[in-house]
Amino acid sequence: MDGKNLSLFKDKPIKVLLAKPGIDGHDRGVLVLAKAFRDAGMEVLYAGLLPTPEEVVDTAINEDVDVIALSLLNGAHLTVFRKISELLKKRGIDDIAVVGGGTIPDGDKPKLEKLGITGNYGPGTPLSTIVDHITARASEARSRKMQ
Amino acid sequence: MKIQDIINGILNGDRRSIARAISIVEDDEMVIEASEIIKGIYNQTGRAHVIGITGPPGIGKSTMIGRLARVLSDGNKKVSVIAVDASSPFSGGSLLGNRIRMQESLTENGIFMRSLANRGMNGGLSRSTWDAVKILDAAGNDYIIIETVGAGQADLDIVDLADTVIVVLGPGLGDEIQAIKAGIMEIGDIFIVNKMDRDGSFLAMKDIQDSLAMTPQKEWKVPVIGLDSLKGKGYDELVSEITKHGVFNTSRPNIRLDRFKKEVEMALQAEIRRQYLLEARELISKKDAIARLSEEKIDPYSAAMKILKSGKTGL
Repeated sequence: MDGKNLSLFKDKPIKVLLAKPGIDGHDRGVLVLAKAFRDAGMEVLYAGLLPTPEEVVDTAINEDVDVIALSLLNGAHLTVFRKISELLKKRGIDDIAVVGGGTIPDGDKPKLEKLGITGNYGPGTPLSTIVDHITARASEARSRKMQ
Repeated sequence: MKIQDIINGILNGDRRSIARAISIVEDDEMVIEASEIIKGIYNQTGRAHVIGITGPPGIGKSTMIGRLARVLSDGNKKVSVIAVDASSPFSGGSLLGNRIRMQESLTENGIFMRSLANRGMNGGLSRSTWDAVKILDAAGNDYIIIETVGAGQADLDIVDLADTVIVVLGPGLGDEIQAIKAGIMEIGDIFIVNKMDRDGSFLAMKDIQDSLAMTPQKEWKVPVIGLDSLKGKGYDELVSEITKHGVFNTSRPNIRLDRFKKEVEMALQAEIRRQYLLEARELISKKDAIARLSEEKIDPYSAAMKILKSGKTGL
């Protein structure tokens, strides 16, 4: 990860939606990520503060993103992340990957993984680790879109 | 998703199909699929009123579009929004931030909105915007609102694409209106002074009117409208002028012909570029040939001509 998209404008950039669903206004982390993803050559959407899970899923579909990246620091991740993964399933969408992050206790991580929500990184994670993870999940989602 | 399913989906107004189709026309590697989609929907296009919104960055275009989309949608019209944002010329990445300013009206009125990164194209639009408009047109939209990249004097592509071009300016631009008038002051069918609640907004309206008064009179009298987008003031007048301009356009058959001409030109360029790139890459990748040209100290222009002339047979 050298922070550069070497094949500038030749390859289709990864499109990622950053969202903080649920009542959580701590957006410093998500804004740092938005910049890091942009600098890694991704096309980044930010859903703004306090979107509902429905809004997040609608936006992801309309924008046809590869990855939804969720962040919560209020402890509601099990409720809200699950809601999003359920909404996606209900609408028959299997070609958008979901990753998570925030203050997520280790014990909750396997539960989220079970829902297909991976990553779940906490504070202090190097940005490159997160970018690499998103890149990997995006290429998975892409390969399903092409089917 | 299969191409035929996507085409049927578009014609039925299915959002997932529309969204996927726009991704395909955005993708330079999927030119063939993209052209199939456009072929499949083309006879259902040409009905939407395409409104282009342009103006300098930070003037409130996105907020204004949120309002306008809602007002049009409240009038029982189907509205979609395309917002183009700039890609970084360094990383290729992009922060597509327009959505945040209009999210509320999008959600409440169920309006489809898509953000596009310009992916290195100058002119205020992305290459894919033309096709994205066709897709939304075929999906049965009455109005398609396009927001350009925050534009300066030279970003005037929207003229070729939109039926009605709205230029958004604001108070405090002062002499900057003088600076941008050469380009942007000539393309507006409607002028907006946004942020009418701020100081100097009436002066800004007067400046624009003065500036317009100095340009030659045309058949369409260009209105200058003041808007307060936070309170929603002035939108009735805006909608009425947009409608009037739509009617005026029906007396100008050339506008469609001009656009078609531009589209054929772009399609031709894309196809030539694609075919040429395939061959050129292959030729340039022949290392020994390039090394020979380099050793012979042949300048790049002559080398390029040599490659062109030699064609596939090699150097």
